[in-house]
Amino acid sequence: MSLERDLRALAAELEWPEPPELAPLELGRRRNLRPLVLAVAVLVLALAVALAVPPARSAILRFLHLRGVTVERVETLPRAQQRPLAAGLGPARSLDDAARMAGFPPVLPPGVAPTRAYARWSVIAIPLGGDRLLTELSGIGMDVSKKFASGAARVAPVTVDGAPGIWIEGGPHVLVFRRRDGTYVTETLRLAGNTLLWEHGTLTLRLEGPLTLPEALRLARSIR
Amino acid sequence: MHREVAFRVAYVVTGSAAEAEDAVQEGFVKAWRALWRFRRGAEFRPWLLKIVANEARNRRRSSGRRAGLALRAAHEPSGEAAPSPEASLLDRERREELLAAVGALPEPARLAISCRYFLELSEEETAAVLGVRRGTVKSRTARALERLREEVGP
Repeated sequence: MSLERDLRALAAELEWPEPPELAPLELGRRRNLRPLVLAVAVLVLALAVALAVPPARSAILRFLHLRGVTVERVETLPRAQQRPLAAGLGPARSLDDAARMAGFPPVLPPGVAPTRAYARWSVIAIPLGGDRLLTELSGIGMDVSKKFASGAARVAPVTVDGAPGIWIEGGPHVLVFRRRDGTYVTETLRLAGNTLLWEHGTLTLRLEGPLTLPEALRLARSIR
Repeated sequence: MHREVAFRVAYVVTGSAAEAEDAVQEGFVKAWRALWRFRRGAEFRPWLLKIVANEARNRRRSSGRRAGLALRAAHEPSGEAAPSPEASLLDRERREELLAAVGALPEPARLAISCRYFLELSEEETAAVLGVRRGTVKSRTARALERLREEVGP
């Protein structure tokens, strides 16, 4: 019974995204259909209005989930510091070594021949020069990198060649990797710069650096 | 509040807040149009949840992606002195372990657990959401619990 008790306890602690902002309405429980019709009609109208208003849309951004990545808005960022881009990802290796370590071959922008890369099982991080770092997650062993965005950071859903993505810029956010078993790789915890995250085939890619959104998208679309 | 539970059902099915929002909107519009089919005296909530869940499933299918468990345990408010991330992460060990184990279940089992325990839906409501009989909900939930016990202990 303790598993069931724990699941029920967990239910109370789950974080749900906010439902669309609507005028409070009491639906159901009414046996008389006429008020129900009116209530639903008002609700539908309220929904349409709510969807047209930007603040209602932005409420979604309090919690964004992309395959392998969760972005959460928080009041206070967890303690983290400015650390090297590849902090916690082990020593620099050749690209071949990194691919062996990660268990999959990396994808790259054309014309880029990196001299070094960093890897853990299912993750490869490749410095692209100019303080830019391309991180690739295969989703086998470490599929969740977790970010906590401060209020100052702009978090926007984007698409890269039709695939879903997230753009974070303009304010500090914190990056931490999580293993599939649920434990965090705390040594990867660090403050991150502007970042584009997107799905690329079976991989989830993450491009970080002093980039604008158009620059990041251009680079992202070139990756094969 | 049906709005909240309907949104959460759609979120569990689609794994995406934006898709869940659209599914609820579309589901409510469809429910409104289908009200004449609603049997007087029947329970309203399972009927509404079934429509929203169908809409959510259709959206997930047409998006072509597989929905994972998008749920996370709440991030504790850190107050003025933020606890070390390491400490707060350790506190969450059991929760994260459970979430990871539920997330690793096959979709039918994951949805059954999510509906019964995370959304606290009745068997009848869960059956409506999953589009199966109550007996199937029972057996699916029991098998899922068994599998979870193998993963994370009793």
